[in-house]
Amino acid sequence: MKDEVTREDRVANLKGMGCSRKRVEDARFTQGKGNYVDDIKLDGMLFGDFVRSPYAHARIKSIDTSAALEVPGVLAVLTADDLRPLGLHWMPTLAGDKQMVLADGKVLFQGQEVAFVVAEDRYAAADGIELVEVDYEELPVIVDPFESLKSDVVLREDLVAEDGSIPAGAHGPRKHHNHIFTWEAGDKDTTDEVIANAEVVAEESMYYHRTHPCPLETCGCVASMDKVNGKLTLWGTFQAPHAIRTVVSLISGIEEHNIRVISPDIGGGFGNKVGAYPGYVCSVVASIVTGKPVKWIEDRMDNLMTTAFARDYWMKGQISATKEGKITGLKCHVTADHGGFDACADPTKFPAGFMNICTGSYDIPTAHLEVDGVYTNKAPGGVSYRCSFRVTEAVYFIERMIEVLAIKLNMDAAELRRINFIRKEQFPYTAALGWEYDSGDYHTAWDKALKAVDYDGLRAEQAQRVEDFKAGKTRKLMGIGLSFFTEIVGAGPVKNCDILGLGMFDSCEIRIHPTGSAIARLGTISQGQGHATTFAQILASEIGLPADSITIEEGDTDTAPYGLGTYGSRSTPVAGAATAMAGRKIRAKAQMIAAYLLEVHDNDVEFDVDRFVVKGAPEKFKTMKEIAFAAYNQAIPGIEPGLEAVSYYDPPNMTYPFGAYVCVMDIDVDTGVPEIRRFYALDDCGTRINPMIIEGQVHGGLTEALAVALGQEIAYDDMGNVKTGTLMDFFLPTAWEVPNYETDFTVTPSPHHPIGAKGVGESPHVGGVPCFSNAVQDAFRPFGNTHTNMPHDHWRIWRTANELGLHD
Amino acid sequence: MELSDEIIINAPKEQVYAALNDPDVLRQCIPGCEELVKHSDTELEAKVVLKVGPVKAKFSGDVQLDTAGAPDAFSLTGQGNGGAAGHAKGGADVTLTADGDRTILRYDAKAEIGGKLAQLGSRLIQSTAKKLAAKFFKSFAEVVNEKTPA
Repeated sequence: MKDEVTREDRVANLKGMGCSRKRVEDARFTQGKGNYVDDIKLDGMLFGDFVRSPYAHARIKSIDTSAALEVPGVLAVLTADDLRPLGLHWMPTLAGDKQMVLADGKVLFQGQEVAFVVAEDRYAAADGIELVEVDYEELPVIVDPFESLKSDVVLREDLVAEDGSIPAGAHGPRKHHNHIFTWEAGDKDTTDEVIANAEVVAEESMYYHRTHPCPLETCGCVASMDKVNGKLTLWGTFQAPHAIRTVVSLISGIEEHNIRVISPDIGGGFGNKVGAYPGYVCSVVASIVTGKPVKWIEDRMDNLMTTAFARDYWMKGQISATKEGKITGLKCHVTADHGGFDACADPTKFPAGFMNICTGSYDIPTAHLEVDGVYTNKAPGGVSYRCSFRVTEAVYFIERMIEVLAIKLNMDAAELRRINFIRKEQFPYTAALGWEYDSGDYHTAWDKALKAVDYDGLRAEQAQRVEDFKAGKTRKLMGIGLSFFTEIVGAGPVKNCDILGLGMFDSCEIRIHPTGSAIARLGTISQGQGHATTFAQILASEIGLPADSITIEEGDTDTAPYGLGTYGSRSTPVAGAATAMAGRKIRAKAQMIAAYLLEVHDNDVEFDVDRFVVKGAPEKFKTMKEIAFAAYNQAIPGIEPGLEAVSYYDPPNMTYPFGAYVCVMDIDVDTGVPEIRRFYALDDCGTRINPMIIEGQVHGGLTEALAVALGQEIAYDDMGNVKTGTLMDFFLPTAWEVPNYETDFTVTPSPHHPIGAKGVGESPHVGGVPCFSNAVQDAFRPFGNTHTNMPHDHWRIWRTANELGLHD
Repeated sequence: MELSDEIIINAPKEQVYAALNDPDVLRQCIPGCEELVKHSDTELEAKVVLKVGPVKAKFSGDVQLDTAGAPDAFSLTGQGNGGAAGHAKGGADVTLTADGDRTILRYDAKAEIGGKLAQLGSRLIQSTAKKLAAKFFKSFAEVVNEKTPA
C-alpha cells in the first residue's frame, strides 16, 4: 500500500493559520526558565533605587545626602542638581508634556522620585534611602479635577509664564493653570440642535475610576555603559524597544548606533511598560557616571503608586432618540484626570486617544465629543491596561448610555441595541466622530449570542425573580449584563498615527536557511501574547514551511527591524500584516526559483500549501524545502542567491474587532456579594490565527474586566495618599472569584488586512467591563437604578441596595 | 483616623491629671517611647518607635497642651515625623470626671496620617492605634495605682 500524504496532512503538518498550535514559549515559562530583566546579572553590577516623596504636593527646601553616602556600599546619590547639567532632570513625555526625572524644586504626587541611591546591593541601597534627609514644605493638595480647574493653587509652575499668563500646551490653548488641553471631535452645532429638539433625551454622568494594570512583573532595567566601546546596552521592561532607543538617543546625545536596547522576556505589559520612567534615565546616568552596570527594579508599591495608571475619566453624556428608539444624536463631555504630568501613551495627535469611537456599534447620525485634560496631585499617565487608547472609556460610556436610554424609553436593552446597530451593508462605515469602520456583521453576532444564552428565558426568569423578591421569597436579585462593543485597534496609518514623531508602521524581516528552516524578526515585542507561536503560524501558511521550523525573534534593537512595539492590540493588525507581506515576497522569489528548477515559465507554476506545482501537471513540483536549498546552491540567471525579504507595513486604516457579551449575575442584597452565574463572550476578530490563544486572551481580558468592574481601584484620600497601594487593598481576582467563561465567535475578516485579521488582545477587557457593570446595574433597574459608579465591590453594592430602600 | 474611648482609672482625678503631665510616667507608658522631654507645662517632645504592619520607624514628635480646663478637661495637638515611613498630625480632647474614688477618662482623638503609613490602609492603622492606646492605658493604670497611697 502506497504511503500517501494527503493534502490535509500537508496542511496540518505546517501548523499554520487556524490551528491551535501549542505555545512554544510555554516550555521555558512553565519551568521557571524565562529570562526576565531581574534575571540579568552582570559583573560588578550595582543596584539603584529611589527616595520617594511621602507628600502629594510639597516644595523641596533641601536634600542632605551626607548620611546616606556614609552607608557602606552606597556609591552615589543622584538628585535633580546632578542631572541638570546633562539636561536630564526633566524628560519629554509621550503626550507632548514634560515630566521631572528627579524632583526639581517640588513634588507633585505621592511616591514621586526625589533622589536615586546607587549601591553595591539592594540592602545597602535601602539603608541609604532611609538616611537621605529631605526637607519638605507641604503645599495644598488637589485630588479632584473639578476643584483643580477652579483652584488658585498652581500645580505646574513650569507651565506658567513669568507674567502669570498661561502659554498654550502641546495640544492647543489652555484655559487655566491646571488645565492641559481641550480636544474636540464631531459637530457641536448640529448635535446640540438635534438634542434640543429630540422626542426623547437621556442624560447621565459617570465616572470610570482610576485603576492600574498591575502586571505580575514590575518595571525595571539594567543599564550598562561600555566606556571602551562607547556603547550603551539597556535591558528593560519595554513594550516599544526601538522607540526607547530613539528617545534615549535624543535625550542623552549618544548616537542611536551606539545604543542597544533589549526587551527580554516581559511578565505582562498591558500598557504599563510603554513609556519611559525616571528609573530608566537614572540607571543610564548612574551607569555612565560609575562605569558599571546599574540595575533598577521596582517593588509592588512603587509600581502601583507611581507608574502608568489607567482611566480616571469623568464622563457626561446626552443621547437623543425618537419615541420608537432610533438614536438621533450623542453628546459626550469628559474631564480627564492626568495626574501631575501628562504622560499618557497616546499617538501624538490624539491626546484623548481614540475616545471618539464612543458612538460605538450604533448608527448615530450626529455626535459631539469634548475632552478637557486636567492636572492633579496624583501619579502621571492615563492610558494603559488593555484600553486600546481610551477605547475602554469610550465603550463603557456608550454601553451605559444605551442602557440609560433603554430605561428612559422603557424598552428592552437588547432590542434597543439591535434596532440601532450599524447594518452589515453600511460597511465600510464612517462614524459621526470620524473613524471609518472596516467591516462588521453585528446583527448576526448579536442574534447568535442572545440565542446561546436563551435571552428571552433569562428575562422571564428575571421578571419572576423580581416578583419573588417583592414577595419576600428571596433576597437575591438577578442581573443580565449586556455589552456589544466595537473596538478600534492596529494603530496605525502613518499619516495620522505617530509616537513622538515615529510613524506607527511595523515590520518583519525573514531569512530562509539552506536546509529549509527560517528566522523572522519583528518590530513588536511579546509580553505574553504568544507572538513566537502565532507569527510563525502566519508565515507557515504564507511560505509553506512548518511553523515548528520558523524561529520568531523580537526585542533586540541591534537585529530587529524598526517597529513601534506591542500595545493597543496592534501586533497582529500591523506586524502581522508586515509578516504576511514579507512572506509573500519570499513566495514571489520562490516561485521564480521553482520555475527555473522545473524548467517552465514563472506563471506556469502555482503555490500549493508547501510547494510549487506545474499548473496542470501536479506530479511535477518542488517543495519549499527544495527551493530553499536551491537559493543557496543554484546560479540562477537574473536572481540573487539567498532567500530573504523584509516588509515595513503602513496600515491603510485601523481594524475594528467587535463582540457580544452577556453576563448573568445573582446579587445578595444583604451582603452585597455578586455571584457570576454565567459569562458568555462572542468575539469577532476577523481571521483567527490560533483559536486556543484567542481563548486565552479572552479569559485574561475578562478576568481583568471583572477586577475593574467589581472592586479594583487606585484610590486617593484628600491628602493625596494612595489608599490602595498594596495587594491588601488592590483587588486582584483569584480562582475563587472567576467564573467559567464560555467563548464563541463569528468571523468577519478585515477587508484591508492581508490576512483579514483584526487582533483580539484588548477586546475582552474593553467589552468585559461594561458587561460586568451592566449586570449589576440591571439587577437594580426594577428598583429605580439608572446608573451607579464602579467599582461594584460588596460594600458599594450593599450601599446601592440600601439607598434604593431594599433593606427596609 | 478617629479614635475615642472611655477608661476607668482607680485613682482620684487630681492624681490622674498629675500623672498625665508627668514626663517620667508618660515615658514609661507610651509604647515604644525612647525619649520624652517636657519643655514647659504645655510643650512636650518625644521620640517613639512605632511598628504598624510591615512599617517600623522612629518617630520624632512634638505635642502642645491646652490646659485651660484642667483638671476636668484638656486637649492636645501635635505632629510626628517618621522620615520615609510617613508622618502624622492630629489632636485629642480629654475629659476627666470624678466617680467616687475613681476617675472616668474620656478621649476623642483625630489624626491625619500621611506617607508610607497611610498606604497600608486605614484598617491596619485603626487597629494598631487601638492596640497602642489600650497598651498605654493599661500601663498608665498600673503606674498610677502604684503611686496611690495605700
